[in-house]
Amino acid sequence: MNIVLTLWKFIIEFLTVNAKPLLQIIVLPGLLWVIVYAIIAVWFERKFLARAMLRVGPYYCGGRFGWLQLIADFIKLFFKEMIIPRDVNTFFFLLMPVLLPSVPALAVILIPFASDWVLWNVGSLGMPMFFAIAGIAPLIPVFAGWASNNKYTFIGAWRVAYMYISAEIPMVLCAASVAIMVGSFDLVVIARAQENMWFFIPQFIGFVIFFLGVMIQSERTPFDMPGAETELVLGWRTEYSGVLYGFVMFTEYVALQAWALMFLTLYLGGFNGPVLFGATTASHIFWLVIKFVLLVTLVILLRVIFPRLRMDQMLKLGWQYLTPLAILNLVITLALKLWGVY
Amino acid sequence: MTEPVIEPDIMRMSWGPQHPMSGQTRILLDIDGEKVHRIIADLGFTHRGIEKILENRTFLQGIIPMERMVMADTPNIGLGYVMATEEAMGIEVPERANWIRSMICEMARINSHLYAFGLQAESTGYFPAVFLWTTVDRTIILRLFEELTGARWSLNFFMPGGVHKDLPKGFEDKVIEGVEYLRRRFEQYWVAMVENATFELRCDHVGVLKPEDAIRLGATGPVLRGSGIPIDVRKDEPYAAYGDLDFEVITESACDSMARTKVRYREIGQSLDIMEQVANEVPSGPIRTNVPLFARAKAAEVLSRVETARGEMGVHLFTDGGMNPYRVKIHSPTLRNMYVFERLAELDEILVADIPVLINSIDPWYLDSDR
Repeated sequence: MNIVLTLWKFIIEFLTVNAKPLLQIIVLPGLLWVIVYAIIAVWFERKFLARAMLRVGPYYCGGRFGWLQLIADFIKLFFKEMIIPRDVNTFFFLLMPVLLPSVPALAVILIPFASDWVLWNVGSLGMPMFFAIAGIAPLIPVFAGWASNNKYTFIGAWRVAYMYISAEIPMVLCAASVAIMVGSFDLVVIARAQENMWFFIPQFIGFVIFFLGVMIQSERTPFDMPGAETELVLGWRTEYSGVLYGFVMFTEYVALQAWALMFLTLYLGGFNGPVLFGATTASHIFWLVIKFVLLVTLVILLRVIFPRLRMDQMLKLGWQYLTPLAILNLVITLALKLWGVY
Repeated sequence: MTEPVIEPDIMRMSWGPQHPMSGQTRILLDIDGEKVHRIIADLGFTHRGIEKILENRTFLQGIIPMERMVMADTPNIGLGYVMATEEAMGIEVPERANWIRSMICEMARINSHLYAFGLQAESTGYFPAVFLWTTVDRTIILRLFEELTGARWSLNFFMPGGVHKDLPKGFEDKVIEGVEYLRRRFEQYWVAMVENATFELRCDHVGVLKPEDAIRLGATGPVLRGSGIPIDVRKDEPYAAYGDLDFEVITESACDSMARTKVRYREIGQSLDIMEQVANEVPSGPIRTNVPLFARAKAAEVLSRVETARGEMGVHLFTDGGMNPYRVKIHSPTLRNMYVFERLAELDEILVADIPVLINSIDPWYLDSDR
């Protein structure tokens, strides 16, 4: 009896002492938020895109608005036969989809949702850590495309590599400009510094470049060349089926989330906003989520207006326009810092 | 098909039949990275022996398998065969029937061009907005077809000697209503698609086919007119009521994929004009010369030419005095355009991403090319 009581006491004590980190891990930047967000985002994208194109979208499942559609799709994917082609490298083929969503999810937990609500607070390492983790992301599609042993996946994989690199360099340069302006790599400090003025005004060039970068990194149209359906079937995802396909598609939304949150933190004030009902943490989280929803809506809406670019046009954009502009932005920031404007 | 040898350091990729954009055909691409060195079209992959089937059908029965060649454009295809039979039998067609034929052919042309137009948007990765809109707008045409013939796709409406039924009461007004609606929609397509900056980036200067190459390779239809050469059987050798109708032959001088898309876009405008003209001015009179059900044709060799939505189609018909044709040779427009498509990799620098744009800019119907 005593042992059970002690154990019970220990559990209660553990929960009370670690309530905040546990809540963070399970609910907000953690598991529940990532999954629920992805499910809602997929449904929202389908429904919202449909309305923007004068269609109806999912309709029957769940009675109204087709709200159960995504759950139904998920169940279907889960129970579908998982086909593993004969000549694939089975180890990498099975490993990659499992690794895929974890990399952007790891990046999400670095983002401050409120000034005192950061799951993994690494202090002044925040921004370098984010880009280090994000730098791993393109390797996984490359491996997956190579392991699938298919010509479509192979071309798709190399498109991923080309595209991510050409976008990542200008993005890092832009983020560096913000860090120089604030004088810190700490994401909480960067977000706090925007209390009076959001950085999209002094860093307008960086703002535009980073926004394009978000679109490229999350493979949104017009930059969805790695999975170009009309050219490469589904790009590097072609051979995945069943629950593996579910993982692969899920990743797209997690990646969008990681980059969009970083974008908000750097340029659109992060968690800053009017404090509601005196609850600072709650209103910070509320404002970040509101901004995030609006940004994702904008990114989704762009899919209605744009056809896909070609690979050479995309690389031209990355290396000939975005990178020089990012360097220019960095130089301007340094100069202004030197003259003490910031 | 015997496949050509692969050169060293080149990857051969299959583009179809297991591909979301390819349709039923099989196309092989020799690629080096993103660059396409060679396009090999597997012509005959969907061969169905329609020419042979026609030999075992009477002239009236033959219209049905003939129309299966291009489902989006059945009246135009059927008319080629019907006109050849009429010539072999020596039948005169009443004027009203000719006018009705012209109107239905133009409606089918709009139907087919709308499909091509939507696919062109789809091929550039435009999320299916435009494709769905064009598909919905085809319903206007299909409803008119249904009211007139009872069928929406394979009409079987033309027969030797005229057309099957007369126009129903009030049909002309409905045609004019439909034309007005489609004109309004086309202004929106122009803004949403043709003037879209990204769409222009994808289609401008892609797959340039110079006029001399177009003639040398035997291009036809919108592909030829997109290279600036005004050849159209409806003008050059008028059949049905096209001699009395007022329309222009559309050409574009840019010679690229965009030009071909624009030719289709503007041709739809001309077709709408023709529909309006026929609805307003269709002469009265009989709609058919009576032809016996199992008519025999005298021994003859005739050739009929029609301008289908995809280009010029020739039907070369040999008869030996029996109830069936002795031999039918169909010269189909897609076959000619597929030869052009195969050569485009030599004429211009082409990337893998351009392949769907190019193949849809020639608007292929593989069952038509392989018969």
